[in-house]
Amino acid sequence: MRAGAAVAAVRRRSASRASTLYLFALPATLLFVVFVAYPILWVAEQSFYAGRTDGAAVFAGLANYRSVLSDPTFWIVVRNMALWCVITIPVQMLIGGLLAYFIERHTHALRGFFRTMFFLPVVTSVSVISLVWVQIYAPYYGIAQEYLRHVGIVMMTSPIGDPKTAIYALIVVNIWQWTGFSMLMYIAGIANLPSEVLDAARIDGAKGWRLAVHVIVPMLAPATKSLLLLGVIGTLQTFPIVHLMTGGGPNRASEVFGTFIFKQSFVLGDTGSGAALSVIVLVIALALSLIQIAVLGARLSPAGKEKP
Amino acid sequence: MMAPLARSRMRGVVIHAVLFIVLGFWMVPQVYMLSIGLRTPAQAFDAALFTWPVTFDNFVTVIRDNPLGGIFLNSLIITVATVAIVVAVSSLFAFACAILRLKGSMLLYTTLLTTLMVPLASMVLPLAILLKNFGWVNTYIGLILPYAALGVPFAMVILKAFMEDAPRELFEAARVDGCNAWQTYWHVALPLVRPALVFVTIWQFIVTWNEFFLALIVLTRSEMKTLTIVPMQYSGLYMANPGALFAILTLIALPLILLYVLVQRAFVRGLLAGAVKG
Amino acid sequence: MATLSIDKVTKAFGHTTVIPELSLTIEDGEFCVLVGPSGCGKSTLLRIIAGLEPISSGRILVDGVDMSGAEPPERGVAMVFQSYALYPHMNVDRNIGFGLKIARTPLAEIVERVGRAADKLRLGSYLKRKPRELSGGQRQRVAIGRAMTRKPKLFLLDEPLSNLDAALRVGMRVEIARLKAELASTMVYVTHDQVEAMTLADRIVVMNGGRIEQVGAPLELYHRPANLFVAGFIGSPAMNFLKGCVDKVEGNQVTISLDLGLSLTMPVSKPPQAGAEVTVGIRPEHIVLSAEGQADAFIVHASVVELLGSDTFIYVRDGEESLVIRDSGGRMARAGDRIAISLPPRACHLFNKAGQRISDATAVTEPA
Repeated sequence: MRAGAAVAAVRRRSASRASTLYLFALPATLLFVVFVAYPILWVAEQSFYAGRTDGAAVFAGLANYRSVLSDPTFWIVVRNMALWCVITIPVQMLIGGLLAYFIERHTHALRGFFRTMFFLPVVTSVSVISLVWVQIYAPYYGIAQEYLRHVGIVMMTSPIGDPKTAIYALIVVNIWQWTGFSMLMYIAGIANLPSEVLDAARIDGAKGWRLAVHVIVPMLAPATKSLLLLGVIGTLQTFPIVHLMTGGGPNRASEVFGTFIFKQSFVLGDTGSGAALSVIVLVIALALSLIQIAVLGARLSPAGKEKP
Repeated sequence: MMAPLARSRMRGVVIHAVLFIVLGFWMVPQVYMLSIGLRTPAQAFDAALFTWPVTFDNFVTVIRDNPLGGIFLNSLIITVATVAIVVAVSSLFAFACAILRLKGSMLLYTTLLTTLMVPLASMVLPLAILLKNFGWVNTYIGLILPYAALGVPFAMVILKAFMEDAPRELFEAARVDGCNAWQTYWHVALPLVRPALVFVTIWQFIVTWNEFFLALIVLTRSEMKTLTIVPMQYSGLYMANPGALFAILTLIALPLILLYVLVQRAFVRGLLAGAVKG
Repeated sequence: MATLSIDKVTKAFGHTTVIPELSLTIEDGEFCVLVGPSGCGKSTLLRIIAGLEPISSGRILVDGVDMSGAEPPERGVAMVFQSYALYPHMNVDRNIGFGLKIARTPLAEIVERVGRAADKLRLGSYLKRKPRELSGGQRQRVAIGRAMTRKPKLFLLDEPLSNLDAALRVGMRVEIARLKAELASTMVYVTHDQVEAMTLADRIVVMNGGRIEQVGAPLELYHRPANLFVAGFIGSPAMNFLKGCVDKVEGNQVTISLDLGLSLTMPVSKPPQAGAEVTVGIRPEHIVLSAEGQADAFIVHASVVELLGSDTFIYVRDGEESLVIRDSGGRMARAGDRIAISLPPRACHLFNKAGQRISDATAVTEPA
């Protein structure tokens, strides 16, 4: 009798336990459903509708997509984004990696100082950075023209005012802002290299550049893969630098996905093509990410946690 | 021939010198910003990195004329609330996946991960309309919740990895000691992943504080604006007075820079700890 | 204190059965040791008892109450883990008192009980330290202290000494033996080390492949192993097994000719048939070194000799057969020596082809 009651109590408790455990997962799921999944589904649906002047929407099939893809600006954007990826990612890896290598392996007392200083652009508000760089690039009173003249580079106009150079000038700013992040990722990687392997390499006679190139660089592959993945995603996120420095101009020459969507949706109020663009960016991002994860085994975590 | 010891000391000096030179160039934009802020109106348009003499008049003027305190407070409220929600929600979720191993939690985890691959650019339009329907335009909550939703996946990846690395016997010991799931989470799991919590907190703070795109769309009333989106309007206001503009930019950038300098040690420690294990 | 009954319990992970149907009762206040090679299911069984591992079928009863689905605290268990599993962020006294805190014990009582455990385990001066500041032996004592303060009905220990170095292990073994006397709690202790089992247990459960091979008091297992597995597992160095076949059977006396080349007559409880294959077991310490020419002496050649001071181990290889002889008489021998030995029939164990015991208990008299 007593035993039976105890059993029943135990059963009841464990049943209620199991269901309350899902409360751990609930808040994250709710946030995801409301603020990520629902907006994505909504935008996917809207991309098939065209807004009319009276406010009603009519089904438009692929019309939005056709108009986006036939817009020459779209192809400027694609070219700019490709340039952005191809230039930013390797340059940041190279500079960040070199800084990390020299800071981690050759400084001691000043290690924390260098780590912090090179990372400061990352924590500086992007809108502040953009305005400072506009000033740096400015004609007549900007310091870029003034100082570059001494090394033989003469600029007649602001590099962000010229359709041919605008996108490159923005890429420079972006590289400057985010190199500290690459550096920190590589620092984490270098600091955690197993010291036995480095000792073994030294006993094998590898040192200096040979050690760096043949031992350290390959062992930092996980950090490199993460940076590549984050770099691609980061590129597609690009917005504030362009919006604040050139607004996508001059003559749409430096337009990126962010500014293009912003203009279509919020300036022109064309929800249909804004939605179609959003879907296209989303598909590109997911495809590129999944390809990298599948092919390279890249990870999204910048903490660089790699299971051996 | 130099003795090996002298040679390695020499190399150390050269490397430090090179690092300092590179850092000098790296710091040009920040130094330039401060330098313009310290100029008199007459020097403001000089094409030089430094000018002499310096004046603090610009700082005095902009602090007197602008409600920077209120804007700072907006940023602080939104950021602190977002960070708190992200840390709480992501650690709960990581605990469900890594320790409780609930049925279906891994599928959910993978689904939530895709958020990290979604560019904000493709979400601003629907989010803007969603927030308008909720009546959340120009409210704190209208930024806090979307920020939290976008921040949780990254924090969850880090925290889950840390919890998986913790010895399982510790969680069994907690069960034997009589902890239910909530007590295990609070008394055992959270203290165990402290370095990761610190790392996630700092990173989320930086990201939220500096977020621009969504803030630009959601916050249109000037008294609701955050530090990141006000420089735009000042660049129009102080077009003819770069000294004042750059004084304000310096003031806007300063809080986060100071904060980072204070916590960078803990931040890097968290980052390093993350890669040590596994 | 409590009686623990394991009633027809089975455990499977997916399609792999780890424990086929198993029943066992552990008496109130008993110190029971589960011993067996790694992978024999002893740790799984302990975790089942603790309530950390759900069972596939059967029942776990504590004092007659079905606790099959209950959480560890409801069963009244405390456990010492192999890795100690001390909370790294809590200092020693919080580690020890954590279970009490969770059970909402009044603070004064927590302090009092933690203090008492700390005294008993000589941890008084370490109470404010973190686990990482302690040595292996100290951590072990903290883990035991944590289990003690909960006044458990069932005190479970999962290979508690396996992470300690050899010298510390002996010390802690003595300490656990002392605790056992003081606590008078029902204890279940898992180990793969048969010395720990022999020295600590009231009763030993020898497990193999998820099954119980034999349950008994330590000396019972030593003198009367039920089968070849237990015979080989209990005792160190392990029992010698010699193959042979039955020559003739007269009543309960059988004569066996061993492959090694000698013949042996001994009493049995279940006489086999003439011609049956059997295995004779004799412990290294029961082989008698005799003088050459003595009636039952048999000459072998030592291949390796280990001199430990107190004991001498002599290893013999002869074709397929090998023998270890343990001599405590301080005799000097060298590899290659001719050695005369005799196998006292009363010290021999006889097992049939299926590996089951067919002789009586050994009655060992110390060699003169």
